[in-house]
Amino acid sequence: MARRKVAANGAADVSESSTSAAPKIVGADSEPRDVIKANNANLTELKHTLDDALKRFLGRPDQFKTIHQHTDVRLALGWAGVFVATGTALYGWKVEFERSKPIVWAGMILYIILTSVQTLYAYFVEGDIVYAGKRKTFAKRIETERITIESRTQPSTSTSPPKYELSLAYVRSSNSGKALLHRGKGHDVRGYNYFFDEEGTLDQDVFEEWVRGLVANVTGEDN
Amino acid sequence: MFTEELKSLRRLGFRHVLLQVLNFANVITSGLMIWKGLGLVTNTESPIVVVLSGSMEPAFYRGDLLFLTNLPSSSYKTGDITVYQIPGVDIPIVHRVIETHDIPRDRSSNSTLIHTDKQLLLTKGDNNYMDDIQLYQGLDWLERRHIVGKVQGFLPYIGYVTIAMNDFPQLKYALLGGLGLLALVQRE
Repeated sequence: MARRKVAANGAADVSESSTSAAPKIVGADSEPRDVIKANNANLTELKHTLDDALKRFLGRPDQFKTIHQHTDVRLALGWAGVFVATGTALYGWKVEFERSKPIVWAGMILYIILTSVQTLYAYFVEGDIVYAGKRKTFAKRIETERITIESRTQPSTSTSPPKYELSLAYVRSSNSGKALLHRGKGHDVRGYNYFFDEEGTLDQDVFEEWVRGLVANVTGEDN
Repeated sequence: MFTEELKSLRRLGFRHVLLQVLNFANVITSGLMIWKGLGLVTNTESPIVVVLSGSMEPAFYRGDLLFLTNLPSSSYKTGDITVYQIPGVDIPIVHRVIETHDIPRDRSSNSTLIHTDKQLLLTKGDNNYMDDIQLYQGLDWLERRHIVGKVQGFLPYIGYVTIAMNDFPQLKYALLGGLGLLALVQRE
């Protein structure tokens, strides 16, 4: 892992933003923000930190309205499975073994079905998506915008640090989806060292600028 | 101590907290379901048991893990090692069958539980002088319904973890607590 902020492939020149020493960073909404720290050695944690920052930035009231569908499906299936499993286990514990067998079989099969559906959903429908949002504007006509963002980690090679890859897909339509106004796709890769300094503090301004630029590219307008 | 985690939890919102608790609950329920599934497949209440006493030495020692099955089509033969539990006694006992009597089942009866003929069994621990009549709490023979299962295989020493957790309950709670904490704060 790169321990210092070094310019990575495709990065703009980095020398202008050497922050992260100050405990409070003033953000675009000019409120003092918390310092976000992540463990530099843990790639999963770095990815999650950036994903969370992305969700927070795009979910702000002046940006998009977050669609929670994937999270809600996972929560619903997951908790249903937990309740089925607990109920089955309690029943099997209270009732004597031979008599309890049919119901325990039924509970077990139900649990397996719920877990399989959950796994299949996460693999096929959700995939790498970390953010889905929509926005309605009332210009001349009601326009609906929908943005979907996937993120991936590219592992480090012998010559480059690990990188964070974002893929964006954007659709703007009107008349409730019947007329397509604009469709855009975006894609960019930056090394994790572009956003995190050697102590693991996230430079939120740099990250938000990058995301803002990508979103503006993909919506075809200045955000 | 957990200020970083608490701060990030508050920042991420309610759904995230639910997801983390779901992670923890999933760890427990998947363990539970694997246990119950194993019990259903092997047709026995406890498919894996730990040997507590030395009455089956030199075959099994204290701390060995035993794998049981109780398939309804199998009948028990002399020489099988069975785990049985007398109603009213807390702890099941693992001993060898030394005598069996097969009573032809009345074909017109409605019992669908066991497909073999009714069996009466007498057991004895390899390392004991006497057979188990004293342990039967007044019964003369063991019946099929008292048997938890027949031993199919074993793993030495592994059971000591369970024995340690039973003798020192603090260890059990500490282990569970540590596992729970790990599942709550970690993410995927």
